[in-house]
Amino acid sequence: MSAAGTPPPRAVSPIPADQAPLLARSCYADGAPSPIVAALAHVPELLDVAMPFVAAALGESFVSARLKEIAILRASAVLGCHYCVRSHTVVALDEGLSRAEVVALCGDEPAQDAFDDERERALVAWVQALAGGRGPLDGDLERHMAACFSEAEIVELTVVATATMMLNRFCTALGLPVSDATLVRLRAEGLL
Amino acid sequence: MTATAEAIERGVLGERLWFYSNYHCNLRCSYCLTESAPRVARRELSAETIVAAAEEGAELGFQAFGITGGEPFLREDLTGIIARLAQIAPTLILSNATVFNARRLRELEALEGLPVQVQISLDRPDPDVNDEMRGRGNFAKVVDAIPKLLARGIGVRIATTVDDPATADAVEMERLCELHRSLGVPDCDHVVRPIIRRGRAVAGQLGRGVGFEDFEPELTITADGAFSTPFGPTVTGGRLDTDLLVTRATSPLRRPVDALMRIAGEQSAGADARIGIR
Repeated sequence: MSAAGTPPPRAVSPIPADQAPLLARSCYADGAPSPIVAALAHVPELLDVAMPFVAAALGESFVSARLKEIAILRASAVLGCHYCVRSHTVVALDEGLSRAEVVALCGDEPAQDAFDDERERALVAWVQALAGGRGPLDGDLERHMAACFSEAEIVELTVVATATMMLNRFCTALGLPVSDATLVRLRAEGLL
Repeated sequence: MTATAEAIERGVLGERLWFYSNYHCNLRCSYCLTESAPRVARRELSAETIVAAAEEGAELGFQAFGITGGEPFLREDLTGIIARLAQIAPTLILSNATVFNARRLRELEALEGLPVQVQISLDRPDPDVNDEMRGRGNFAKVVDAIPKLLARGIGVRIATTVDDPATADAVEMERLCELHRSLGVPDCDHVVRPIIRRGRAVAGQLGRGVGFEDFEPELTITADGAFSTPFGPTVTGGRLDTDLLVTRATSPLRRPVDALMRIAGEQSAGADARIGIR
């Protein structure tokens, strides 16, 4: 913070709606886009392929939204991405995760114990190892995942976690701001 | 026939591939789209970049090239670039025609026989009114340069920029036409176009506001990326406008070409009242 209390200018400022590049216009059609879109719009050809990929990877699919939010929130917490943790805390609550589950996923301690379902416990451990470790994953974790999920589910959940990790670092590097609506909701939930 | 050539034939894409060779200029016109001036960042495209893109563009199906800026003729290597491009396809250079000293005119003799035209800005038939927008001494230099270019086999077009062509003073316009005819430029090589409210014209509240649908899609390569029209890479308040940006990547050229064809193909029917820079 500067002496006047205003944050210093960031290296990348969001592209406003009236400057949306041609390939980005559809992402701005519903009003103010997300900070991720407004940043990626600086390179419209990347936005053009990245957003459909992100939507396919993190959006509705044959894997439940609840499982996906577990993976997203845990990866974001392990990588310390304030933007993603705060934004997806709201999404996770909306997808039916309990307050205790969300708090556990966002915490520093292993989060498996907050979950009773064996599949969810395996997923949390898998994402923890993916986001927090280096090199190959432990064979026991892989066998646990294989016992709980189909190959297609493992692939999709791993893509969810790793795509989230990419976004975690992107959002953190550029210091993307959390929306006011999200902050209001988190205050109302007592999570801020 | 390539997909690009087909798109050009169907009018989805303009036949001319444009280049912003540089952004700096010896003038500081009141309606300049790019806020060009002597001390702005040059943001030049290298000669190699321009020639490589032109060669790829010709393979894809572009039939002509355009070079604009800034003032392109401030570049020492411009004549060589023009020669390379004009050997591939007819080439048009937009210029304020105030930098054609004896040395530059001698260099241009190397272009004799090549399909090269210079489009020169001349806005009013009276020096004082013309120079009000374009700078003192502009009119005299332009009137001096045009016959000299023609004498060296360089084609000349005149571009007149007015606030609104529909309401332009008819008597004044006729006097301007008499002037360009007397200089050797026929009516078919005189274009009158409106001031576009982008760049410096925004602060002056000059001209008309426009969007993508108002322009013919003409791929325009700059140091900042590819734009949908040479009216696109404008600078307003010192910041590059991105609303007509197609892609940041310009090589391979197919990438912005494909993106612009996709964008232009999505345009609604009836968008036919378009503005051209030439």
